[in-house]
Amino acid sequence: MPNFLLIAKREYLERIRTKSFLVMTVLIPLLMGGGLFGSVLMTKNTHSDAHVAVVSYDERLAMDLQNELEHGKNSEMTVTVIAPPSSKTRATLDGELADKELDGYLWIRSPEHAGSQPVVEYKPRSSADISTRDTLQNGLHTVLMRERLQSQGMAQTEVNALMQPVQLNTSGTGQADDSTAQYVSVVVLFLLMYFVIMLYGMNVARSIIEEKTSRVFEVMLATVRPADMMAGKMLGVGSVGLTQVAVWLTAGFLLSSTAIAARVTGGANHVHLSASQVIFFVIYFLLGYMLYSSIAAALGAMTNSEQELQQLNMFLVMPLALCMFALGVVVNAPDGKVATIMSLIPPFTPLIMYMRISLGHPSWLQVGASIAFMLVAIYAVLWIASRIYRVGILMYGKRPTLPEILRWLKYS
Amino acid sequence: MPTVELNNIRKVYENKVAVEGLTLRIEPGTMFGLLGPNGSGKTSSIRMMIGITVPDSGTVSLFNKPFDRDALKRVGYLPEERGLYKKMNVLDQIVFMGQLRGLSETEATRRGKQWAERLQITEALPKKTEELSKGMQQKIQFITALIHEPELVIMDEPFSGLDPVNGALLQDTLLQLRSEGKAILFSTHRMDQVEKMCDAIALIHRGKVVLEGNMRDVKNAYPRNRVEVVYEGDNSFLRNPVVEEVKEYGGGITNIKLRGDGVTTMPDAQPLLADAVRNGTRITRFEVKEPTLEEIFIERVGGNVDA
Repeated sequence: MPNFLLIAKREYLERIRTKSFLVMTVLIPLLMGGGLFGSVLMTKNTHSDAHVAVVSYDERLAMDLQNELEHGKNSEMTVTVIAPPSSKTRATLDGELADKELDGYLWIRSPEHAGSQPVVEYKPRSSADISTRDTLQNGLHTVLMRERLQSQGMAQTEVNALMQPVQLNTSGTGQADDSTAQYVSVVVLFLLMYFVIMLYGMNVARSIIEEKTSRVFEVMLATVRPADMMAGKMLGVGSVGLTQVAVWLTAGFLLSSTAIAARVTGGANHVHLSASQVIFFVIYFLLGYMLYSSIAAALGAMTNSEQELQQLNMFLVMPLALCMFALGVVVNAPDGKVATIMSLIPPFTPLIMYMRISLGHPSWLQVGASIAFMLVAIYAVLWIASRIYRVGILMYGKRPTLPEILRWLKYS
Repeated sequence: MPTVELNNIRKVYENKVAVEGLTLRIEPGTMFGLLGPNGSGKTSSIRMMIGITVPDSGTVSLFNKPFDRDALKRVGYLPEERGLYKKMNVLDQIVFMGQLRGLSETEATRRGKQWAERLQITEALPKKTEELSKGMQQKIQFITALIHEPELVIMDEPFSGLDPVNGALLQDTLLQLRSEGKAILFSTHRMDQVEKMCDAIALIHRGKVVLEGNMRDVKNAYPRNRVEVVYEGDNSFLRNPVVEEVKEYGGGITNIKLRGDGVTTMPDAQPLLADAVRNGTRITRFEVKEPTLEEIFIERVGGNVDA
């Protein structure tokens, strides 16, 4: 077996056997699943079940609102109607608020001019209860709109028909598909790529620092080439990353096709990934990992301790974090200008181009170009990193300055 | 056919000259001692010998050929700073190092176990390296350096941190290797060991060789100008004009350096003994000796030793 494979094998086996690998492999999907489950629950439960009082000059408006808030689409509130109010109403309500019998009350006064909206005052028990406020606002809006439409002479049925939400059927390439499920799967893969590249990039740097502090390097260098060591390390650590991703994806597919997942995500949402999405995930993951782990190898060789690495790891984290920030833009317009440009700049390519391929329709030329640019960038970074690595691993003591590093590049 | 041949090696780091004009040869079946105070360039020289760094000028030949990385499979190296994978299982570690040098897994395992038996650490094999004592780790490191039966063994400070029993064990192993025809180079501060074991030495100071050659020749180059005396009573004989320097160790044990460089004037202990007898000093021991390597070492590098 060639030496770099022996080194990769050692690295792989030692890492796979650690407890942290096992913990991560189990924990991350749990956390991610929990997060997804939580966010699904959250969106389901943004409707409020608060107990509010509605005080109104107009009893019909108040009753309508009560009906909307108690039985409306997004609301399960308990509503007490007080119409019309007496002089003691406010004091009573404030008292109930203080006794926590009420979560808030709404005070509707007649409009100042005929034809304008009524004046509404809302007094919540806790100003942080945003969902109740939003529900009240939406309910009020619906009720007022319906009333206005009816007063314009529209029939009740017509009004209801008009107020129905629009159903959008998304179809990308002709056949209808389940875009929410697909969106969720793609974002999960995006996050996965982000975490795994970052995690395993850092692992490469960390394991180099470990070999530096334990002085294994001296022994190793008396036997193998620095290039073999670096290649073996990147290959070994990267394979661990791929193993982990493979475990997660397999588990994801298996779990999502069971009934539990379908219930949790509310019906038809099983993980929806095409073969090309998986293939491109692997391609861009590998490219991204190569680029970032070679940067990490150079950083690891330059530093002597984890603390020193912390100061430099912005070189790793910043580009990845930028991709994270750009996620919104890319999701909204996967073939827009920002997304297109970013997807062709190597440090951003893996994440952004992968998103574009999954959600948009980048041309084959762009996909090809992004891969070509990545390969060129990887070659360049590897060239620099291997030189820094070769000299850096034997340097102990203070962190090298930039001019020193530039000098290292010139060593044959 | 020398196993190692360094020819006029020079290495400069940033702005410091680490090694300057170093030339040496190590023959198979001999033990070579590389001596020198801290920071004198021993480790730098060793690193160039095994291609970890490349000399700025001069040539390195291993096994009678210009340096080539393939030759490293025939070299065993024990660095000054021990380096083992802490979390790794000991046997796995030994086998891994063996495989890197081209052994098969089964062969490396077989030899690893054999060596462990020889160095009496079989019980350590299934453990993790970090669970072992420093001396045990040292032995493991020793095995990883020798597992591939190298023809050239290079050891930087092999005895540091070992208790006398284990030190003797490793010393015997090295002597055994020499008798098998291997070339052995080791660096150390412990002159007594060098004196006992080495066939040839090089003394480096500030990157330059100040003394080099066959152990016998080196010592013969110095006159027998030391006298070890154990006495009781009057000590006025110590002020005899033939005495250059006196070191008293207590209990009457005294080390005397005589005047005379051995070329123009010969050191002579006779007047000293006569003086002592005349003064009625009781002499229980009076031995004229050649200087020890340590004394030569100190003499050559002067007061600049922080070793």
